Amino acid sequence: MVALACALVRPASMRGQASKPTEYEVKAAYLYNFGRFVEWPATVTQAQSDSFSICVLGQDPFGPSLNAILANETIAGKNVVARQISTPQDAVNCRVLFISSSESARLKQILAALGDASVLTVSDLPQFTQRGGMVQFILEGSRVRFEVNLATARHAGLKLSSELLKVAVNVRKGAPLGD
Amino acid sequence: MLRFRDFSIPKKLTWMNLLVSGAALVLASAGFFLYDLYNFRTGTVRNLGIEAQIIGANSVSALEFDDPHSAENTLSALQAAPHVMSAEIYTPDGNAFAGYRRDHSGTFPPPPPIPTGQEEVHRFQRGEVALVQLITFRKKPVATIYIRSDLQAMHDRERNFAFIVATVFLFSLLAATWMSSIASRSIAEPIVHLARTARIVLSEKNYSVRASPTGGRNEVATLILTFNEMLAQIQERDAALGVAHDRLEQQVQERTAQLDAANADLEAFSYSVSHDLRAPLRHISAFSQLLREEYGSKMEPDAQQYLSRIQNGVKNMGRLIDDLLRLAQLGRKKLVSEATDLNSMLKDVLADLQSECQDRQIDWQIGDLSSVVCDSGLVRQVFANLISNAVKYTRKREIAIIEVGQVEEDGVSVIFVRDNGAGFDEKYAGKLFGVFQRLHRAEDFEGTGVGLSTVQRIVKKHGGEVWAKGEVDKGATFFFALTAKGQRLVGETKAAIAGA
Repeated sequence: MVALACALVRPASMRGQASKPTEYEVKAAYLYNFGRFVEWPATVTQAQSDSFSICVLGQDPFGPSLNAILANETIAGKNVVARQISTPQDAVNCRVLFISSSESARLKQILAALGDASVLTVSDLPQFTQRGGMVQFILEGSRVRFEVNLATARHAGLKLSSELLKVAVNVRKGAPLGD
Repeated sequence: MLRFRDFSIPKKLTWMNLLVSGAALVLASAGFFLYDLYNFRTGTVRNLGIEAQIIGANSVSALEFDDPHSAENTLSALQAAPHVMSAEIYTPDGNAFAGYRRDHSGTFPPPPPIPTGQEEVHRFQRGEVALVQLITFRKKPVATIYIRSDLQAMHDRERNFAFIVATVFLFSLLAATWMSSIASRSIAEPIVHLARTARIVLSEKNYSVRASPTGGRNEVATLILTFNEMLAQIQERDAALGVAHDRLEQQVQERTAQLDAANADLEAFSYSVSHDLRAPLRHISAFSQLLREEYGSKMEPDAQQYLSRIQNGVKNMGRLIDDLLRLAQLGRKKLVSEATDLNSMLKDVLADLQSECQDRQIDWQIGDLSSVVCDSGLVRQVFANLISNAVKYTRKREIAIIEVGQVEEDGVSVIFVRDNGAGFDEKYAGKLFGVFQRLHRAEDFEGTGVGLSTVQRIVKKHGGEVWAKGEVDKGATFFFALTAKGQRLVGETKAAIAGA
């Protein structure tokens, strides 16, 4: 089923590749799909000009697959581009920010630096949603699932579609821990 | 089974109403049914498409995030739509993603392909409708939904429709029957009444009956009015005829009475004349006899000759008076009818004629005669007259042939007497039976001219008829029937006998 699902979610540029998609290929596709089920505030959509940035902070686990998936794709009429960044300050213009496992130690500072910025934060890190992140990938066997923290997303001015919540493994509604 | 043509008018009207309303109903129902069926099918397909769209819209994230379980949750909502037999979500490359079965079992063949450029395909097949819907999300195809619905609702609807149509049909026919009974009251009843009246008039010959008028101004009213008018005219004519008939009857009675009186006078006159003539004749006869006895020897031969002439004349006159008396008496005499054997009567008559037949060679051909009820004395006179005539008029034949016989014609016995004597010219056949009418000179055949007249009176007194056929020098045949025959039948008999 994973293979089928990947075939489904894989954008057109990747079709035709016979090999079974890897975990990060699926996750790359999900990053793109999140962009389609989340609504950003009008200040963001109107201010940002011509592109829809999906950024990776820290060590990039995707390799070339993210670029390959996003090539020629658009969301709401804007070209989707992948960007590698090194500091949370660079994330201001990102729509989706993937925080790599390599950033585990300074996650708190990163989230603090983002503040209330309307950026959808995604990570593999355990307890990411409890620690102030919005979307956390979870592996159920070989299947890639995810859970969301709705309160955090709302606080950042993001509206997660009910469709997205429907397929989420877990939806947290409480206030973010820590701070 | 009566044909429609022979149905009575009310029945015809009722049937026509029923047929017309029935046909209209059937056509209207069929049209409405087809329209409804078409609408319902279209609606079914549209609803199924909407259901597919809703399922698709609710399954997009499940598809995007590879969550068949979530899609199946969405699909399970179809339990609320019992007509949906199955629904399946396929990925764009044709693999099954999630499915729903109403009865939780069974496999279904893959959906038919959607032609490019279309988003929806549906097909009616074996009691179900199958629909394939392409689901797009942000203008990209993400899935196809294959949904199948049974047509139970449609069948229920058809059944309900049939029931409603049948009910409406029944009530319409009842209404049509009721209305046609009203129609027949206003249209057919006057006609039926008219027909019944006409039948009564015809069967009872009662022209005083009238058809009751309808009061309207239509053709039927005119017909009834005309019919009554005709009856009135017939009645008037009948009355006039009756008056004329009565007047005529009265005239006939008057004339008959006058005629009877005249006849009675005439008979009384001839009787008294004949009777009174006898006395002087007896004197002449007696004294001429005395003259011959006393002075016959002293007379010259010439005188003796004259005396003989006188005595012959007297004898002739006596016979004439006897005949006339008998003829006159016939008018007054009442018929005494009794069963009579004509064969024995004929034998007696022939015996009496024996003296007249001396020195004659006569070939008698006597047929078998029947027994009849008649006045035997009078009928004997008929036979005597006819046969003595035959003997008389065959006198100049070396061998006389006289035939007496009987033929049956239509149950009526016709007796004939045929001879090969002098005969007569049929031109004068009408005169044969008149009194004193003779077709032969007395020098050739003596006679009084009363015999055949007597025959005719006797036969007519019996209600019968007498007629004759003959030819000069070839003989004559006299026919008589004691029972009346129709004029036509008499003619046929005559022809048959003449031809025989």
